[in-house]
Amino acid sequence: MFTFSRGRAAAGVVALGLVASLAACSSGDPLSSGESGAPDDVTALTIGSQGFAESDILAQIYGQVLAANGYDIDYAEGIGSRETFIPALQDGSIDLIPDYAGNLLYGADPDATATSLDDIVAALPAALEPLDLSALDPAEATDSDALVVTPEFAAANNLTTIGDLAPLSASITLGANTEFEARWRDGLASTYGFEGFQFKAIDDYGGPGTLSDLLANNIQVADIYTTTPSIKQNNLVVLEDDKNLFAAQNVVPVLNTAFVTDELTELLNSVSAELTTDDLLDLNEQSAGDDKPSAAQVAEGWLTEKGFLD
Amino acid sequence: MNFVLEALQYIADPANFVGPNGIGERLGLHLAYTGLSMAIALLIALPLGLYIGHTGRGRNAVIAITSAARALPTFGLVLFVILFTGLGLWPLVFVLVVLAVPPVLAGIYSGLESIDRATIDAARATGMSEWQILTRVEIPLGLPLIIGGIRSGTLQVIATATIAGYIALGGLGRFLIEGLALRNYELTIVGAILVIALALAIDGLLAITQKLVVPRGVSRGSARPTRTTARQQKLRVSTREG
Repeated sequence: MFTFSRGRAAAGVVALGLVASLAACSSGDPLSSGESGAPDDVTALTIGSQGFAESDILAQIYGQVLAANGYDIDYAEGIGSRETFIPALQDGSIDLIPDYAGNLLYGADPDATATSLDDIVAALPAALEPLDLSALDPAEATDSDALVVTPEFAAANNLTTIGDLAPLSASITLGANTEFEARWRDGLASTYGFEGFQFKAIDDYGGPGTLSDLLANNIQVADIYTTTPSIKQNNLVVLEDDKNLFAAQNVVPVLNTAFVTDELTELLNSVSAELTTDDLLDLNEQSAGDDKPSAAQVAEGWLTEKGFLD
Repeated sequence: MNFVLEALQYIADPANFVGPNGIGERLGLHLAYTGLSMAIALLIALPLGLYIGHTGRGRNAVIAITSAARALPTFGLVLFVILFTGLGLWPLVFVLVVLAVPPVLAGIYSGLESIDRATIDAARATGMSEWQILTRVEIPLGLPLIIGGIRSGTLQVIATATIAGYIALGGLGRFLIEGLALRNYELTIVGAILVIALALAIDGLLAITQKLVVPRGVSRGSARPTRTTARQQKLRVSTREG
């Protein structure tokens, strides 16, 4: 009968391992045209995303437009944070990824101080050049820190800008992630004269805990990112950052410079030009909806509505 | 290594102990959350565990439910509860109780179950009431495992109460969260050291309690040989030596 020697078993295991790693190569190698980041064929791109819903949707938006225009598109979702995806862009594991202007600049140049969109856009090319990366035009859509209040609180105190909070400082508790205080307390004081407020650390990135505390008036001001659906759902008032304290975080596609062509630039810029913060809010809301549509479906809906897809 | 030295210096500095957000306040909160959660967990698990252990009724259902509860990710659960309740003390206590009940319950019913049926039958034959059997035979004989369950539950709660820091309740978890958020890794290690020290201290106290309250000679005849666990054997050896 069939006997199973230890040696044969070991060989079997090795063979299995080889097959597995080969399989991983064939499906996982995102860049068929070379490893150095210098592609033979600029019409085949792998588009990365950062592993949260909004980033997945943006990757699909840019990817589907390219695909509809004859590009050969692969997706690599959930690449992770800037520390991971910048090297990935450089070594050709991915070729393009949607990012946010301010954070992209600070990631590329930790000493950068620009906060307004114009200053960031002006500083980006120089910061990205040594990395062999390029950023295309930013969209109007921005996903930045925003101080929000309830509509009642805004009406009662006549609030429209962050500066309007200054006279109320002593009676205000601001809820945000832990790092908010270290990062922004000084800036809020020097830029807006908003100082001496209580700080409550709620580490859910403006999620349900922060929201419920704001609605219960345990905190009067919350830091909630501008594209969070709860802002719209609860008619929260986003206080205007008219002095550009918070860095602009407009959506911007960043890609390996080797892939930049006039055609691709024009195509993606035309998409970015249509994308507003309200659109992003809508897309996020759809993606969080009860029927849990995929990022691809959400992106397709928006692209069709805007006439990029038939 | 430097981080650890700096963290130890931070802990040793009395200035860091006092005041709001000092080690003292956070340690106190951490202990309070642990104590409150364990008290509620005991209120639930003690009667239930003794009932199941004594009667053998509902054992399978409870084992199924508590094993499933062990698989719940506590952090996810607390965020889920907050969706409905908003921030506050009770979501935290609720999830810590959910975390603590299964090991305590398991300790109690397995403690009672490990007792040789012949011992219980003998007690019944001498005319003891069911209540007397429970309080004079089953609980004393099952104590090593019962306290073992409480110890294991307490350790898990101390370690997990760090999530209080995420939901604006303070506690030792704040050191971990602040350290990570501000990239001040020395502070993260401060939090880790304090949580470990607290866990070891409390476990030590419970170990001493275990020694004090478990009657001498309990191991003899307490367990059916076929059902002994490694832990029981260890306990038996240690009680024999002691």
